[in-house]
Amino acid sequence: MAEQLTPTAKRVARRYAREIAIASVLYTAIVFAGAYAIRNLDLPQWLVILAALAPLIPALMMLRAYATFLNGIDEFQRRIQTDSMLISAAIVGFGSFAYGFLEEWADFPHVPLIWVFPALIGIWGLAACVVRLRYK
Amino acid sequence: MRNRLKVLRAERNWSQADLAEKLDVSRQSVNAIETGKYDPSLPLAFKIATVFGMSIEQIFSADDVAQAAE
Repeated sequence: MAEQLTPTAKRVARRYAREIAIASVLYTAIVFAGAYAIRNLDLPQWLVILAALAPLIPALMMLRAYATFLNGIDEFQRRIQTDSMLISAAIVGFGSFAYGFLEEWADFPHVPLIWVFPALIGIWGLAACVVRLRYK
Repeated sequence: MRNRLKVLRAERNWSQADLAEKLDVSRQSVNAIETGKYDPSLPLAFKIATVFGMSIEQIFSADDVAQAAE
């Protein structure tokens, strides 16, 4: 990274990277194990529900890692992050709301709800780049 | 809000990175404050004042106050 980081920022970034890596590995393992079990084993419904909700655990670990990261970075960087989140929430929120009407009334193809969260994260990342440019 | 950060920094021959290190913030934060694109919180403004050994009022002024003084 070209940008020089302060010791605090380095420590915060290292911890964030470590926690995200652990959660990502866990997420991958849970998703693969869950998909395999649901497709190949005759599980009772309660276990299927449990398997379907299990990826939430690493997702919540990622959320916790991000919250810790957000509290550790300096106030200006936090401002960039929160501005970006707000933009992403607005785009995905209003976008999915509008698309819901299009699905219901205009026979647009159905898009599963599972895409809302990745869209939120993806647009948040793009928004962070744009917000960062605004402050240059 | 207006500030004299750039001038004060230049007087001390500090780079943005030097000041950022003293304040424990990113260089980008110092740049955003200097260019007036971001107004620091009161705790950070106090920290800046301490680093320069000045009062907050000697470094920062509200836009309307600065205009009235001109």
